[in-house]
Amino acid sequence: MVATLAACGGGGSGGGATGSGSSFILGTTETVTAMDPAGSYDFGSWNMQYNIFQQLVNIPPGGTTPQGDAAKSCTYQDPKTLTCHLQPGLTFSNGDKLTSSDVKFSFERNIAINDPNGSAVLLGSITDASDPNNPKLASGAIETPDPTTVVFHLNKPDTTFIKVLTTATASIVDEQVFPADKLLPDNKVIGSGPYELSQYKAGEQAVLSANAKYQGAHKPKTDRIFVQYFNDPAPLKQAIASGQVDIAWRTLSPTDLNSLESNSDVNVIRGKGSEFRYWVFDLKTQVGKQLAIRQAVAQLIDRQAIAQKAYDGTVQPSYSIVPPGFAGQKDSFKTKYGSPSVSKAKALLDKAHIQTPITIKLGYTPTHYGPNTVDEANELARELNNSGLFKASVGDAEWEQYQTLYKQGAYDLFILGWYPDFLDADNYLTPFLRDGGFYANGYNNPQVNSLLDQELGSTNPQDREKTFGQIQDIVAQDVPLVPSWNGQNVAVAGKDMTGIAQTLDPTYIFRFWLIGKKG
Amino acid sequence: MLKTLLAPFRNTSGLARWILVAGLVITAVFLVFAIFAPWIAPFGFNQVSANGHAFPKMAPPSSEHWLGTNDQFYDILSRVIWGARTEVIVVALSVALAVIIGVPLGLISGFVGGWTDRTLVLLMDALYAFPSLLLAIVFAFLLQGPLGGGILAAALALTAIYIPQYFRVVRSTTVSAREATYVEAARAIGARNGTIMGRYLFGNVIQSVPVIGTLNAADAISTLAALGFLGLGIQPTQAAEWGYDLSRALDDAAAGIWWTALWPGLAIVLLVTGLTLVGEGLNETVNPTLRKRRLRDFVMPTREPSTTLARGEVEV
Amino acid sequence: MSAGSGSLPRYIGQRVLLVIPMILILVTVVFLLLRVAPGDPVTAAVGGKLDPQAIALRRHQLGLDQPLYVQYFEYLKNVVTFNFGHTISDNRPIIDVIRDNGGATLTLTLGAFIFALAIGIPLGLIAGRMRDTAPDVVIRIFGVVTYAAPIFWTGLLLVILVAPTGWPTYDIASPETKFLVHPITHVLLLDCILQGNIPATLDVLQHHLLPCLTLGLLLCGVFIRLVRVNLLQSLQGDYVEAARARGIPEKFVIRRHAFRNALVPVITIIGLQVALTMAGAVLTEKTFNWPGIGNQLVKYLDARDYNAVQGLVTFFAVVVIIVSVLVDIVNAMIDPRVRY
Repeated sequence: MVATLAACGGGGSGGGATGSGSSFILGTTETVTAMDPAGSYDFGSWNMQYNIFQQLVNIPPGGTTPQGDAAKSCTYQDPKTLTCHLQPGLTFSNGDKLTSSDVKFSFERNIAINDPNGSAVLLGSITDASDPNNPKLASGAIETPDPTTVVFHLNKPDTTFIKVLTTATASIVDEQVFPADKLLPDNKVIGSGPYELSQYKAGEQAVLSANAKYQGAHKPKTDRIFVQYFNDPAPLKQAIASGQVDIAWRTLSPTDLNSLESNSDVNVIRGKGSEFRYWVFDLKTQVGKQLAIRQAVAQLIDRQAIAQKAYDGTVQPSYSIVPPGFAGQKDSFKTKYGSPSVSKAKALLDKAHIQTPITIKLGYTPTHYGPNTVDEANELARELNNSGLFKASVGDAEWEQYQTLYKQGAYDLFILGWYPDFLDADNYLTPFLRDGGFYANGYNNPQVNSLLDQELGSTNPQDREKTFGQIQDIVAQDVPLVPSWNGQNVAVAGKDMTGIAQTLDPTYIFRFWLIGKKG
Repeated sequence: MLKTLLAPFRNTSGLARWILVAGLVITAVFLVFAIFAPWIAPFGFNQVSANGHAFPKMAPPSSEHWLGTNDQFYDILSRVIWGARTEVIVVALSVALAVIIGVPLGLISGFVGGWTDRTLVLLMDALYAFPSLLLAIVFAFLLQGPLGGGILAAALALTAIYIPQYFRVVRSTTVSAREATYVEAARAIGARNGTIMGRYLFGNVIQSVPVIGTLNAADAISTLAALGFLGLGIQPTQAAEWGYDLSRALDDAAAGIWWTALWPGLAIVLLVTGLTLVGEGLNETVNPTLRKRRLRDFVMPTREPSTTLARGEVEV
Repeated sequence: MSAGSGSLPRYIGQRVLLVIPMILILVTVVFLLLRVAPGDPVTAAVGGKLDPQAIALRRHQLGLDQPLYVQYFEYLKNVVTFNFGHTISDNRPIIDVIRDNGGATLTLTLGAFIFALAIGIPLGLIAGRMRDTAPDVVIRIFGVVTYAAPIFWTGLLLVILVAPTGWPTYDIASPETKFLVHPITHVLLLDCILQGNIPATLDVLQHHLLPCLTLGLLLCGVFIRLVRVNLLQSLQGDYVEAARARGIPEKFVIRRHAFRNALVPVITIIGLQVALTMAGAVLTEKTFNWPGIGNQLVKYLDARDYNAVQGLVTFFAVVVIIVSVLVDIVNAMIDPRVRY
């Protein structure tokens, strides 16, 4: 099958690096929305972009602090000013030079195009949103004094912005190739990253070839990578179990993973993840508005049982709104509530003179977060009912209807899931706690708001961590939501694959350049 | 009218009758499951513990759980028995609704003719040409939100697909029957249109309905299972449904866990087979071109003199 | 052809004209159902991440907050100019989706038909010939069971059976084949043959075996039943009695007269199964991760992508309607009683 490696299907120079012709196949159930960084906000797309493009800074595997990628360094002069110095002599895979004007162009077009599937929302600190239908780069927000220097002037103190620069939405594109006002077709994208896109068949497969002109630090170990897109986990499971793909990453069910453990041809590699599952209280309902009830639920929830029964032990119980591995994280819920205890919960309710059993309505959505959600909801309901203090019932709705229903107060307590955009604790705090959070549950604590402002405006890591700790403690006290579990970042791979364990970290960036195949 | 309805059953013979009987027996077993589920099934359909003792997860068949348990801690035997109830309810509901709407429409359309007829035929043809599963998907999509993944959503989805089938058959029978002499005679004695349709035509056209009905029922179960496979079916906490259980069990088979997928799958195959056999068996009789030409023994009458005339009497 | 009547062209004309209102009705039905259904591509994608204002902005950008009739007429306008638009969830022109993935569904269904006919017709003829004997019963039960078994169950059984042999169990070709073969006709099998790439052609054929067999088994049950019934009907015919009366040996009677007449309606049969085949194809493609239109439909359904689902379902419906019109025309040419 190694006839002529003359690729077809467009994309870059179509060839690849010279070399031994090594390759591997990765299977995934993720979908790709767009290869253009201005047009996507999802795993599948971002994953390709991390390998095709460079960003100013990157998070190293397993780390939390941004390191230079296309830039030598990026540093804050003050909480509103960030300066980056580019590496000299960078080029794109088509030979065009990469300079600061490409960087500015990349951000400008991302904000202006404002694609409905895009992630320009992350660039709020440099956006002029005075006309919501026509956002543009805030004037003066990006200064390019010379071809290798970029200065960001933020419109508010935001020390998470450097982390935003590590995301795929901040990828650097070639201003001579990408249009300023619309997306570039998928099979024409080119970047300056370790790989270039040799072929893209939407919904079927993407082929990456090592970029011969790449000058960065992430030299690819493999020349060619085939990414196969699966519509359903069942054939993916079959494929990895029988060796038809070399790596399977996202998303196999807990049952599949556990059964693959006993397959001697593959390794199940589990890394730390940052997926978050949590139950939100609707503070506008009769039940949700009573603090003692919320605290009682936090006291009763048996996270180990949920992890075991609903997920076969493949998830980690979560004791805080921020997952472990993030700077400043502390298990506030464990400190405050300890192990599940019916007597302590009863004490809480008695002190507040609340009659038991309390009728409480749980809500979940059956398919959006996977088929085990129903098991988790049933398990939590059982735990509440078995305590004798609650009469819990469970309702469900498909994802679209669910979103409307929970905002209308159909449930007292409903389940949601979260993936971080970038690796900073704030990404688990601001979206949930400020002004009711994106789910509009009615929680509004001025103390929390001012603490959030404080950490966003602080460039001192220790100060930020202390503030994070304070916020987490308040959350454990107020219980606007109950954390349930954190997911792992899991991949299944043939025994001859290397480098995978290294890249499985809470960023969920699958760094193809680290992966190799022996023999 | 009952006699006309049961005529196809009574006309069977030979192997056709055996097939019919086999199908009826299988269907009857599942009907019994469906009706008497609360008494036959060892546990409830979403029961996960008994006597304070939680069920194991994905346990192989044992004396406590005859068919094993699945990965949601449910007892599979109970899910199969309760599932029969779900299937029967959904199918009965959808077939009944389709018949109630489709048959009268076909009768009226065939009898009245004209523009009403042409428009209805166009509409029904369009729906009939539609791949039934796709229409079911779109309906389940639509109804899932407001009605929750419930029995009603699945039933209504199936109703919409099957109305055109009854419409077509009834209409074509009506069209050929309405020119018949007895209808003309009825008109001549002043019978109103309603009476003609109700008393005269209805009995004739209704004969083919049981055949279609059983074949549709079989199809409905397959479609329900397919909806479950695509994630558009009934939620496990609301009812037991074989398609859903099967779709969740598919991965297990490759891991050597055969019981979670086998029993629901077998249940689907058996019930659909049973219903199809009933339909097939009926078809053998209702369709006259399939009936075997039977050679009956014919005895020639003996030659006997006519005694009346021999006595010499004269006929006037 | 039909000398005097002139009714055949008229019949064809009528059938073709009727296609347009039928398609219009279907398009409208699908549009209404999807728009009335709760949810939209925006909430499906980012409902769990963005606050209500951001979501509303995006919906506004996509024109999803316009009144229903405005959206409907927009859509009709586009359909008439053959502009099916782009998918919302990943910005692909829907024509591209049909073009890139239609070939895979085409070869899948053709392969399935080949299997179904190769298995179904001989079995149907045997069953009819040996009516009410053991082979008849066994064959009929086989036909019913293959039709009754859920296709994803059958598919899975086949995969489990075959997996240990190393036979490919998903997708239409290996990644290398897909990479190396240029899309000319957009039907992968044809492209491999046209480019003279033998290993690639074999690879594609190898991948076709399991899915085509799975779908073919589902269809062969229908063929068995129909061929058997047709054979029985022709065996009842007077001309058969006449042939027997003339003393022609039974086996000639069967082979020369009955079989041939039994098979004439096969074209009609195939045409009528298109709707069933489309449905079966959707499920088969999901089971085998086959890159056909059915698989894309399922994917866009999950994403609540209106445009995509509308476009693809309409395409399915149009195909079914066109095939059934063609079948009616062929039928009319063969059987004059049909032309009204």
